[in-house]
Amino acid sequence: MAGTTLVPPGRQHKRTVSDQQKRRELALQRQKQGRRDLQHHARQLALSALNEVGDVSGEQEE
Amino acid sequence: IAAIELPQGEWPELVGSLLANMGGPQMEQPAHLKQATLEALGYVCEEVSADILAQEQVNSILTAVVQGMNSSETSNDVRLAATHALYNALDFAQTNFENDMERDYIMRVVCEATLSPDVRVRQAAFECLVSIGSTYYDKLAPYMQDIFAITSKAVREDEEPVALQATEFWSSICDEEIEIQEEYSADFSGDSEVPYFQFIKQALPALVPLLLETLTKQEEDQDLEEGAWNLSMAGGTCLGLVARTVGDDVVPLVMPFVQENVSKPDWRCREAATYAFGSILEGPSLDKLTPLVNVALTFMLNAMKDSNNHVKDTTAWTLGRIFEFLHGPSIETPVINQTNLHLIQAVLLESIKDTPNVAEKVCGAIYFLAQGYEESGQTSSPLSPFFQSIVQALLATTEREDSGDSRLRTSAYETLNEVVRISTEDTASIVVQLVPVIMQKLNHTLEMAVLSSDDREKQSELQALLCGVLQVIIQKLGASETTKYGIVQYADQMMGLFLRVFACRSATVHEEAMLAIGALAYATGAEFGKYMGEFYRYLEMGLQNFEEYQVCAVTVGVVGDICRALEEKVLPYCDGIMTQLLKDLSSNQLHRSVKPPIFSCFGDIALAIGEHFEKYLIYAMPMLQGAAELSAQPSGSDDEMIEYNNQLRSGIFEAYSGIFQGFKSNKAELMAPYAGHILQFIQNVYHDKDRDEVVTKAAIGVMGDLADTLGASSAALFQRTVFFKDFLDECTSSDDQQLKETAEWAQGTISRILSG
Repeated sequence: MAGTTLVPPGRQHKRTVSDQQKRRELALQRQKQGRRDLQHHARQLALSALNEVGDVSGEQEE
Repeated sequence: IAAIELPQGEWPELVGSLLANMGGPQMEQPAHLKQATLEALGYVCEEVSADILAQEQVNSILTAVVQGMNSSETSNDVRLAATHALYNALDFAQTNFENDMERDYIMRVVCEATLSPDVRVRQAAFECLVSIGSTYYDKLAPYMQDIFAITSKAVREDEEPVALQATEFWSSICDEEIEIQEEYSADFSGDSEVPYFQFIKQALPALVPLLLETLTKQEEDQDLEEGAWNLSMAGGTCLGLVARTVGDDVVPLVMPFVQENVSKPDWRCREAATYAFGSILEGPSLDKLTPLVNVALTFMLNAMKDSNNHVKDTTAWTLGRIFEFLHGPSIETPVINQTNLHLIQAVLLESIKDTPNVAEKVCGAIYFLAQGYEESGQTSSPLSPFFQSIVQALLATTEREDSGDSRLRTSAYETLNEVVRISTEDTASIVVQLVPVIMQKLNHTLEMAVLSSDDREKQSELQALLCGVLQVIIQKLGASETTKYGIVQYADQMMGLFLRVFACRSATVHEEAMLAIGALAYATGAEFGKYMGEFYRYLEMGLQNFEEYQVCAVTVGVVGDICRALEEKVLPYCDGIMTQLLKDLSSNQLHRSVKPPIFSCFGDIALAIGEHFEKYLIYAMPMLQGAAELSAQPSGSDDEMIEYNNQLRSGIFEAYSGIFQGFKSNKAELMAPYAGHILQFIQNVYHDKDRDEVVTKAAIGVMGDLADTLGASSAALFQRTVFFKDFLDECTSSDDQQLKETAEWAQGTISRILSG
């Protein structure tokens, strides 16, 4: 029977390196991080703009 | 035909007519008719889903099938057809397996069939047992003793196809028990109702010796034949699963075998001992394994000089397993230290020159050795002194004449990827030097003579690997300002090559090239604009690729990269991109997993082009609202559905965030009509018990963005709403720093509106 039987689905003899999925996942992670950073940046800008307005109006009130 | 007609309620008489062919006590039918009928019934069961047939029909089919399998059936062909039919009918037999008498009868017939004089019937009967083991694990307890006797006899004495299935039975029981442990590990207690019978733990004292016996039954040259499977491989694989199932308990049962055989003159003994040792390295605790590996490591490194190819193959694989499981940033007492690292790399770099099968396993060992240093720091790594020689050895391996005939070339390139990923500042210059080398190789593939489909396949495989390496390098060097120039200086040449690669038609290559281009856009920023004229048509092609949905998914992600890189300069391409994305969303052909990222991509586009997104609003908003409604449909306890709904909701929220933020300066009022609906959607999500953390973060962010963009005009909306305070409270008291910060920002923004 030598060589006639193939590895059944879901089994692997001495699993070898497979990097493709890791490449996909790391790319996705970088993209998510990029999006998150940009949104965070936009919110930070909104916050500092509000703080500045607050400071200016505070000064005017004084 | 049945597969088409039965689900539509047509051909109701089919099952009845087939069963009539089987005859009965009064009328014996010819064997060939019974055989053909059972084969037809088997196909019907294979093709038709379980809920289509009425229980009465299922009962009749099972009765006929089990009768055909019975030892009183004189025709082996009929018995075989019946056993195959039962295999296909098992999924239908839920109700029958609930009933003790019916189950006992089915199990008795299956077990008897494993003793048939016909090897085909025995093999098919064991296939049924394997399937029963997975489908009806919780019903197996009363039969396990008999099953152990039957399977161990088959493993020891029967022909290989039967012995393989008998071994597979135990592997599938391990699969079940590992899954139960992963899923319910928190629920195990005295009165636990989790159906976990610990069959493997109970069988251990007899099962492990049985599996160890199989390990010495290797075929000559088995490692040279890719995809081959034999009893020793099945036994070793099962032993690995047993180790994962029971952990420490396996160690004392295996180690005497290892110690006794690892130095014997017969290569089969040395290989079996090494395979057994390598197989138990995942599962048992580090406390148990570390002392053993500390002793074994030097022995293993020496064994890389063994006279037998298979011993070296298994030794290299075992070294890889040692590095994978006993070395790394999370391991308290790693087995690799400064002292033995020198020897390890010297042995690996010598053995990588060995035959392709051994060299491939050595690549695997280097991959895991490198992976263990992934968090070693920014500036330097223990691997840095050896970095250059490792890279050179891997490149030399890709150049070997004999590397293309096996997986060796792929393994060498994929290992190079991991080595690049863990590189530190002190080795960055070596990574930069790799860029022209890999580019030259990619260029070479474009000039290869392609005369046959074989040539084409080889070209595609190589191009995919090389694009993969370039992607990893771009991402690595592009991540830091100090190394970015290493990429930017080659951007024109790289982009030229990628565009030529697109002209060669292959899904995998397109995906890899697309990922590399996304990373390049991230690294080059606004400069990427100069490539858009030529690149755009491939971007569009990627978005149109419904069939190879991975290409489509990756392209959607790259659109996001380009938006962030080009900002407003992406505008000229947005009509085309949005048209295609909207078509993708409306398509029933496109794999559903691509749809959530498309919504996120709407957000990327909106944030990049700001007020110019206005013209897409009338198309995008109904899509978003429709998807929001779809995600609210009850998913019951379907974990996949729950996960998908969460992904969909994250995508929708990311779209809303991008649109709000993009419109904030000039077009805020455009979102006012949608604000009520969006807040309602957030409320629905807040009340959903299956909401995950990613959705929570995105939802709380949108709530803040809504308030921030619409300002005072949204105050009334918040005043009419109660839930948002509870939601904010929940998030501001979270342990997740990022969620806490976003929630505090949203809280501050909403408070200002309400007080102002």
